[in-house]
Amino acid sequence: MLALSRKINESIIIGNDIEITILEVKGEQVKIGINAPKSIPVYRKEIYLQIKEANKEASETSPTDELLKQLFK
Amino acid sequence: MLIITRHFGEVDLDEDKIIYFENGIFGFEECKKYTILFDNEDGERPDISWLQSLEEPLLAIPVVNPFLVKEDYNPEIEDELLKSLGQINEENTVVLISITVPADIKKISANLKAPFIINSDTRKGTQIIVDKSEYEVKYCFYEQMMAHKASKGGM
Repeated sequence: MLALSRKINESIIIGNDIEITILEVKGEQVKIGINAPKSIPVYRKEIYLQIKEANKEASETSPTDELLKQLFK
Repeated sequence: MLIITRHFGEVDLDEDKIIYFENGIFGFEECKKYTILFDNEDGERPDISWLQSLEEPLLAIPVVNPFLVKEDYNPEIEDELLKSLGQINEENTVVLISITVPADIKKISANLKAPFIINSDTRKGTQIIVDKSEYEVKYCFYEQMMAHKASKGGM
């Protein structure tokens, strides 16, 4: 992994159109500003992982579940 | 074309029933072609359908209309994120959410955080993550649904 040191208000440019700026550092928390085209989705990683996991869990559902059928009747 | 499905065996599918997810779906980015299947046994369309992958027969996700689970579901979605679906309007936009059914049915949950959006004209789809923090990945709706049914006198 590439590691770069930055100070507040300094930025990193990724490609031609993504800019990441350090806005604030407070104890253990860092506030980051992201400037990217709206067509590029930006996710908090823990949410991204949760959604991946949720799709996997959903795909394990059995259709023969009578209770499930009844619930949606 | 004949496809192999997780829950319905071999199915003869019309080409125009194929939905193309350019970026796949979360966790299954390599699976891009899907179709929507449902159990037609009773002659009427049930509320649960299955988003079935054409490339991975074992991949089938149960999906429902979000309004069944949350009446005022109204996620805000950046237009840009839906651009790849082509022109969308009220008539051709289909929104579906996945449900997860653990062994205990009372713990059934719906994923309000990551709906599937499909353009039924272009048959292109995408799964997006909505910003609204009140929309949970595991929204439990069992009790509310039972109460709703009871109020309608259904059960």
